[in-house]
Amino acid sequence: MTIMNRMGKWSLLAAFVVAMAAAPTASHAAKGLLKLHEGDWTGNLVSCKLIEIILEDEMDYKVKRIFLPGGAQVFEAIIAGEIDFACEGWPSYNPIKEKYLKEYGGDGQVEMLGRMGVVGASGWYVPRYVIEGDAARGIKAMAPDLKTYADLNKYSAVFKTLETAPKGRLLACPVAAWECKDAERAEGLGVDYVAVVLGSETAHWAELDAAYSRGEALLIYAWEPHWVHAKYDLVEIGLPPHSDDAWPATDWPDDPTFNFGSPELKEKYPAVHQLLVNQNLSNTQQAGMILDIDVDGKDLDAVVRAWMAENQDVWRAWLPAGT
Amino acid sequence: MSDTTPRGLNDLIGERRDTALLAAVVVVLLISIVVASLGAGGHPFPSALGDGFPFADWVNDGEQWLKDNYRWFTKAIAGAIGDGLDRVELFLLVTPWPVLVLAVALASLWCGGLRLALFCIAAMLFWGVVGMWDSAMETLSLMAVAVAIAVTFGILVGILASQNDRVEAIVRPILDTMQTMPSFVYLIPAIFFFGIGGPPAVLATVIYALPPAVRLTNLGLRQVPVETIEAARSFGSTPLQVLLKVKLPLALPSIMMGVNQTVMMALGMVVIATFIGAGGLGYEVWQALRHLNIGWSLEGGLSIVFMAIIFDRICHALSASRAGGRAIVGDRFRLLPGWLEDADWARAFERGLGAVCGFCGTASRRFAQALAAIAGAAVRPVSRAAAESLRRFIARHAFFAASAALVAIVYLVDSHLVSYGDFPRAWQLSIREPADAALDWLKVNAAFIAVTTWIRFVVFTWFLDPLADFLVALPWWYTIALVTGIMWLSTGRWLALMSLAALFFIGAVGLWETSMLTLASILVSVFLCFLLGVPLGVGMACSNAFEAVMKPVLDAMQTMPAFVYLVPVLMFFGGNVVSAVIATCVYAIPPIIRLTNLGIREVPAETVESARSFGSTFLQTLIKVRMPLALPTIMMGINQAVMMALAMSIITPLIGGGGLGEQVFNALARVNTGKGLQAGLSIVFLAIILDRLTQAWSRKRRLSLGVQ
Repeated sequence: MTIMNRMGKWSLLAAFVVAMAAAPTASHAAKGLLKLHEGDWTGNLVSCKLIEIILEDEMDYKVKRIFLPGGAQVFEAIIAGEIDFACEGWPSYNPIKEKYLKEYGGDGQVEMLGRMGVVGASGWYVPRYVIEGDAARGIKAMAPDLKTYADLNKYSAVFKTLETAPKGRLLACPVAAWECKDAERAEGLGVDYVAVVLGSETAHWAELDAAYSRGEALLIYAWEPHWVHAKYDLVEIGLPPHSDDAWPATDWPDDPTFNFGSPELKEKYPAVHQLLVNQNLSNTQQAGMILDIDVDGKDLDAVVRAWMAENQDVWRAWLPAGT
Repeated sequence: MSDTTPRGLNDLIGERRDTALLAAVVVVLLISIVVASLGAGGHPFPSALGDGFPFADWVNDGEQWLKDNYRWFTKAIAGAIGDGLDRVELFLLVTPWPVLVLAVALASLWCGGLRLALFCIAAMLFWGVVGMWDSAMETLSLMAVAVAIAVTFGILVGILASQNDRVEAIVRPILDTMQTMPSFVYLIPAIFFFGIGGPPAVLATVIYALPPAVRLTNLGLRQVPVETIEAARSFGSTPLQVLLKVKLPLALPSIMMGVNQTVMMALGMVVIATFIGAGGLGYEVWQALRHLNIGWSLEGGLSIVFMAIIFDRICHALSASRAGGRAIVGDRFRLLPGWLEDADWARAFERGLGAVCGFCGTASRRFAQALAAIAGAAVRPVSRAAAESLRRFIARHAFFAASAALVAIVYLVDSHLVSYGDFPRAWQLSIREPADAALDWLKVNAAFIAVTTWIRFVVFTWFLDPLADFLVALPWWYTIALVTGIMWLSTGRWLALMSLAALFFIGAVGLWETSMLTLASILVSVFLCFLLGVPLGVGMACSNAFEAVMKPVLDAMQTMPAFVYLVPVLMFFGGNVVSAVIATCVYAIPPIIRLTNLGIREVPAETVESARSFGSTFLQTLIKVRMPLALPTIMMGINQAVMMALAMSIITPLIGGGGLGEQVFNALARVNTGKGLQAGLSIVFLAIILDRLTQAWSRKRRLSLGVQ
C-alpha cells in the first residue's frame, strides 16, 4: 500500500491503462463475466438484483450492470452481444418480441428464459375521490355510481377536457408501441371517450400527479405491480372479462413476465441459464420490495438483501442443481 | 441560384410594394380557405402512389446488408472511440477534484479575468455540491471526445467546402439532414454496429454537433477579403500557403464561433445519449424524471447548463482576447459590475483587489524568473543555445509557469500528504426540496392554474385546432402546388423542384396528414415565439439592465435539457398538444429574442439620431425606423426558431405532442429502421423547405433595404 502511495496516482493511472488494455483476457477471474440489463422500472431492478446477488455471492460469477431504458434497445443489445440477459420482460409492452422470440413467432435471435413469476395486470382506474369524494380535502363525489365501463357514458362530461369535449378523456396506455389497444377498446365497448396517448410513462404519471393533487376527475390506464398504487388511492373500473374473440373490447389478458437473453447462454453458462429459468418471484413478494424502495425511499441493494435473508427458502429453490 | 428568380417578385419587393405583396398573400389565403372548405376530407393522398414506393423495405434490406458485411468496420471504429473515451474518463475521475477546479480556474483567469474565473469555480463546485461530480466528469469526457472528433472533421470539411462551390452545394443538404434528422432514428440501429454506452453516444453527438463547425469554417474562409488574398498571391504564395498563412488566421474568429456552437449542440445530446446506455448527467436527469422528482432533474439540468456556460464563456474570452488585449489587465473593475464605479466602497474594494492581483503578478514573475534560471542552469551543460531559449521561454510565460507549479503542488499534496478524497459530503447542498416545494405549490395554486388553463384554451381553440383542421383539409395536390409555386418565386427553380419531390415523398410514404399536424404545431409555436420574443428582444435592446438579466436566462433556456421542463409544463398545462407547443416555445424562443435585440442594436446611431432630429418620439423611432431596419435580422431569428421547433418535435411526443415524432418512436419500439427513417426524413424535408423560404425572405428584405 505504501509503495502505491509513493508511486502516486499517475503511475497508478498508467498501470490501470495497461491493465485495461489486457483486460479482455485477464479479468474473467471468476467463472465468467456476465453483462445484465438494468432497466428503468423498479420491478425490473428488484428482479435483476436478486439474480445479480445470487450470481455473485452464491455462484461465483462477476456481474456488470448495463443501463438501457426502453425495450427495443435491450433486445438489440442482446443480439449485438452487448448484454447477456435481461429480467422481467413484459409481453404486452414489447412488440419487438414478435420479431425475435420463438414463442411469439419470432426468429429466435433472442431466447425466452422462462416466466419469472411476476404477472402483470392492466386496467382502467379512477382516483377514489372521484367516486366517493374526500371530505378532508373538500372534494365532492363526481361520479358516485361509477363501477364498471357501462357507467362511463353517464359521466363522460365529468371526464371531458378542452381537447376531447364533448367526449370524456381516457388517459390511455402511455406508449403507443405498447400493445394495449385502448383506442380500439373504447370504441369496441361503445364508451364516449377519446383515448389520449401521452407518449411516455413519466408524462402519464405526471398528469396523474397533477390531476390528483388538484382533485380533478381522471380516467387513467394503469397496471400492477406498480408504485403508483401505493402513492395514489386508485379504484379499478370493471371491464368485461378477457376473451380472445372479443379482444380488444375486453379486459387485458394476464401479462406473465419472462426473463430473456442470448441463445448462446445455454451453452456457455448452463448454470446461469438454469437459474434464470428457475426464477419464480410472486407479485406480493415483489410488491413489498417495490414499496420499500419507491415509497419509503430505501436503498435497492439493502432492501433486496434484507428480503433474501428472510426468504432463503424462496430463492434457494431457484439455484441450479449442484450449487 | 438567385439569378434564376423571376424578376417579378424581386421588383415587387425591390420597389417596396409591400401592399401588393400583402394583397397577394390575402388572396392566396382566401382561395386556400375556399378550397379547404370545398375539399375537406375528400382528398387523401392516393395510396396507389405509395404502393409503388416501398421505401421502408428498401431501407431495412439495406440495413440487413450492412449488418451482414460491415460490422467488423464499425466495431473497429467503436473500439477506437471506446479506448479514447476510457482514457479521458479515467483521467478525469482519478485526478482529484481540487486539481481540476484549480486548473480550469487558472485557465479562465488567464483568458477571461477574475470574474470568469470565479464563475467557473462556482459552476464546477455546483457539480460537487449537488453530488454529481462523478456524473459530470463522465459527461465531460463524453463531450471532450465527441467535440474533439467533431471539430477536427468539421474544420477539415469546412476547408474543403470553402475551396469549391460544388463541394459546398453537396455538403449543405447533408449538414441540414444531420442537424434535423431525429437522432432516435439511428440510435437503435447503432447498437448493433457500435455497441452500447460511450461509443455510439459519441458518434450520435458528433453527427448532431458537427454541422456548425463546418458551416462557420466555410463561412469564415469565404469572407476573407479578395484583396487580401490577391496581395498574398502577388507575393508569390501558393494556394496552400494562402490558405494556411492568410485565410485560416483571418477566419479564426468565425471558426471559434463554430467550435463554440458545436460544444453547445453536443451538450444538447447529453440526455438523449442515455437512450443507448451512456451514463453521466443525462442518466441523473433520466432517473430523476422516472421518479417525477423535478428538483433532482433540475440539479442535473443545471449541471449541464453550467458546463455549457463554462465552455461558452471561455470560448468567447479566447476569441475576444485574440481580437483585443486580455481582460486581466486594465483600469476597469475586475470583479464588481461597472455601474458601481461611483460608489466609494466599490472603488476601495477594487483597489484592494488590484493590489492583491499586482502582488500575485509580481510573485508569479519572480517565480518564473527563478524557475527559468534553474532550468537554464540545468540545461546549460548540454547546450548553451537551448538553455538560453528555454530560460527566455519560461520567463516570458510567467503566468503559465506559476499556474503549472501551483497545480503541481496541489496535486502532490493530494498524492503524498493528505488525500482530498471525494467531494466532501458535508458541503453538499440540495435544491431539490425547495424546487419540489415550489412545484407542489404552483401545481395546486388556483390562480396560476386558472391562467395556464386560459392560455391552453386560447392556444388550442383559436390557433392550433383551426390551423390543424385547415392544413389537413387542404387537398394534397393543392398544397404541393402552392408550396412549389412559392418556393419557385422565392428561391428559384431547383429548390422548387426539390421541394416538390420532398412533398411527394412525404405523401408516398403515407405521412401526409401526420406531417400537416406537425407543421401546424410548429407554425403555432413559432408564431407564439414571435409574439413574445420580439417585445422581449426590443426590451433588451432598450435597456442594458434588462439585457444583463436576460442573457443568462436565455443561455439556460437553450442548454437546459428539454426533458427537465417537460414535466412541469405538463403539470401546469395538462397532457395535450398545447403543452407540447409551450415546451417548444421555451426551447425555440431564445434566437428570436437574441436576434431582435441584436438587430435593433445594430441600427446605425446616425440613422436613429437623424430620425430624432426630425422630431420623432422614442416610440416612433422604434416602430418606424429601428424595427424595419432590424427586420432581416429578426427574420433570421425566426428562421432559427423554426429549425429549433422542428428539432423539438422529436421530444414533444413524450408529453403528448404526437405528429411525426411519435411515428419515429413507434418505429423504434419495433426496431423498424425504414419506418423511422421515413418519419425522420419527413421532418428533415419540412425543415429544409421552411429554412430555405425564411432565409430567402430575409435575404430579399436585406437587399430591398440596401443593407448587406
